[in-house]
Amino acid sequence: MNTFLERYSSTNAVSQLKRAQRLAEEEDEFTDSAWGSQAGYGQLMNGPPSFTVPNVPDPSSFLRLHTDDHADPNCRIKIQHGTTTLAFRFQGGVIVAVDSRATAGSYIASGTVKKVIEINPYLLGTMAGGAADCQYWETYLGMHCRLHELRNRERISVSAASKYLSNLVYSYKGMGLSMGTMICGWDKTGPAIFYVDSDGTRLKGDLFSVGSGSTFAYGVLDQGYRWDLTDAEAQELGRRSIYAAGHRDAFSGNTCNLYHVKENGWEFIANYDISKLHYDGPGDVAGSPGHGYGYGIRVQGRSSANPPEATAAA
Amino acid sequence: MDHFPTNWGRPRHEGFDAYGTFPIHQRPTNGPKDAFKEGIERTQQPIVTGTSVLAIKYKDGIMMAADNLASYGSLARFKDISRLHAVGNNTIIGAGGDMSDFQYIQTILDDITTEEFTAQDGHSLGPAEIHEYLSQVMYARRTKMNPLWNALLVGGVKDGKKFLAYVDLLGTTYSASTLATGFGGHLAIPLLREAVEGREDTLTEEEALRIIENSMRVLFYRDARSLNKYQVAIVTEAGVKISESLKVETSWSFAEGIRGYGAQTQ
Amino acid sequence: MPGMVSMTQPIQQSFNPYTENGGTILAIAGADFTVIAGDTRQSEGYSIQTRYAPKVFRLTDKAVLAVNGFAADGNMFVKKVRQRLEWYRHAHAKDMPIRAIARLIQTMLYARRFFPYYVYNILGGIEEDGTGAVYSFDPVGSYEREACRAAGAAQSLVQPFLDNQIYFKNQTPAAGTAFPKHLPLSTVLPLVIDSFTSATERHIEVGDGLEIYVVLARNSTALAGLQSLRGVQEVTGTNDGERVFVIRRDLKKD
Repeated sequence: MNTFLERYSSTNAVSQLKRAQRLAEEEDEFTDSAWGSQAGYGQLMNGPPSFTVPNVPDPSSFLRLHTDDHADPNCRIKIQHGTTTLAFRFQGGVIVAVDSRATAGSYIASGTVKKVIEINPYLLGTMAGGAADCQYWETYLGMHCRLHELRNRERISVSAASKYLSNLVYSYKGMGLSMGTMICGWDKTGPAIFYVDSDGTRLKGDLFSVGSGSTFAYGVLDQGYRWDLTDAEAQELGRRSIYAAGHRDAFSGNTCNLYHVKENGWEFIANYDISKLHYDGPGDVAGSPGHGYGYGIRVQGRSSANPPEATAAA
Repeated sequence: MDHFPTNWGRPRHEGFDAYGTFPIHQRPTNGPKDAFKEGIERTQQPIVTGTSVLAIKYKDGIMMAADNLASYGSLARFKDISRLHAVGNNTIIGAGGDMSDFQYIQTILDDITTEEFTAQDGHSLGPAEIHEYLSQVMYARRTKMNPLWNALLVGGVKDGKKFLAYVDLLGTTYSASTLATGFGGHLAIPLLREAVEGREDTLTEEEALRIIENSMRVLFYRDARSLNKYQVAIVTEAGVKISESLKVETSWSFAEGIRGYGAQTQ
Repeated sequence: MPGMVSMTQPIQQSFNPYTENGGTILAIAGADFTVIAGDTRQSEGYSIQTRYAPKVFRLTDKAVLAVNGFAADGNMFVKKVRQRLEWYRHAHAKDMPIRAIARLIQTMLYARRFFPYYVYNILGGIEEDGTGAVYSFDPVGSYEREACRAAGAAQSLVQPFLDNQIYFKNQTPAAGTAFPKHLPLSTVLPLVIDSFTSATERHIEVGDGLEIYVVLARNSTALAGLQSLRGVQEVTGTNDGERVFVIRRDLKKD
């Protein structure tokens, strides 16, 4: 068939029909979700969003080639890395504490990252690994938790929410997602924490710490943890653990964000500068020791390297 | 989970896979398979190639030049290839890189020119529109990992406005009063900028020709994939003119006295 | 055998779809204004491709987007953001608020999680409550709201300077005084210009020209000082009250 003739002949009925079909197809390229305020999440009702994958034999090795700065420090796309996060359950609820440093290679890309993601007033997620992966999927999780509420007239359990996330990231396994997160909340069963990572691991537990500084945090956490901690003691333990990680792990630091999940939802306690915690302590807050966390105060005046302040001044 | 920070936030690397999990993408696929998939040929490297293209703005419009050589590796394979192509009455494009991809570009540009003409709506495509179109095509192809392996210069004059811009296989675009692709970007650009910048509206055609000729000569002296036979295109308000092949006049006598250049006895 | 190519499988594609085009961008938020700036040099390797390729784009009268990294990706990304903003205008008869643009950019970047746009984005403008806002993004869409951010080739030169001068990091206020929470435009603009002249001195990929966009909130007090500046040009598009200005300066070209 002469398509050229067909296209420019306006009288031919067949060509008119074909032109109409062609127009309809062109419009279909833009789904309704592309319209107006339904931004990227517009296709929410059509299942998980779709992603562009490079047209190469092995897409994940392509991604690794261009984003992997461990194998190749000169690679261009440096994805921000997460660092120290912790959460633990106790009689008063859940304490969630995180640092705020993001590094790209050895450059500190940001010192003000919000590594606690407020999924909804009852659920918190923590961020370790790829910052975008955590932010995006936990936001997405929040939307599904809301849909669950609308469909079932009750809040989603922490277990169900975390399983939703776990199944979601597992479906992308091998594609290069990276997240290690703790989903924390309070549901019918009381306070709950689930550890979920991009390998597909999902663990229920009382106490977790994730990230490069986790070993330092665990050290402090394990020696101070009890179920019957008071709220003040628990908050102090979370703070002190993040401080320890910030102090000893180069990839953690800057500030500590502290959250407390109670029966009526989470509460943001405060943001603490880790250097200030070292020298001056957390200030006038519940559980504060009243002095800096650093051991300087414990060695002061005991050696010539640490003379008492009065002597130093004189 | 791998807790070492520099392994975070990146795709899994088998070498660092603590649990030895089997990557999904390496599992045998049971889904529908395209039997011819592995037979699809993509431009993975240029085969028959052209070297530099130069272009400058001058008083009356745009002047562009490219030599007539299409190389096959280091073989000077075709010595009468035109790498300049007029699109409509206001635009010239010049191409470096793969010549088969350039020929494909010529056919699609001719197609849209025909289409525009048949519309008879009183509009015609100017250099800015052609460049925008080309840059979208080039970027789309790079995104499909199947690039058109070219660096293109697009120049022209329309409605009293001079236009000169670049686009390459990655979809990178930019505009300046002097442009060059390939080796020209290193050897000719400094000469062109020196001669043209600030004089875009005063340079005469003769002066512009001299500048271009001089740059082509420098390229012929030092670019091993160039030829001393080139064409110059001129785009003015009056239309596009592509010259006959011109010859680069060279002088090698200076080499006589320099050890390592000419035929030396000692 | 060495030198022989396997005939059964096509050769692994060596095409690299990315390049790096240099340059630096930065944005600083004030109480009722935001400054978004970028140099205009575009380069690849040691070659300067052009001395004028804008990296900062007005999206609406409340939002300006700066892009840095791979220029082709950047230009395409800005184009797509603008298209979405236009669709929003058609559907809602108003401009998208900046916090919504920020979220839109996140989802657009993340849609390319497995084939990223190699672009660092900084979005600056005025929030619906009239405060200055800066949002910074990584290439795959993680973002946060900040008061100041530098990105690109010279980010490691500029950001520490900004930390010191904007956040007063590692400075102690004189006894009985405190550092201001927000700096006035008359302090911020010279800091921006100094950042770029200094980055030009020490980084080969920065230079040629500087474009500074200033977004003012409704009835911003910064207006009077701005209009008297050399070479300032207004690029406001609506009568909503927010106003956008652009200031152009030369940078060294060597």
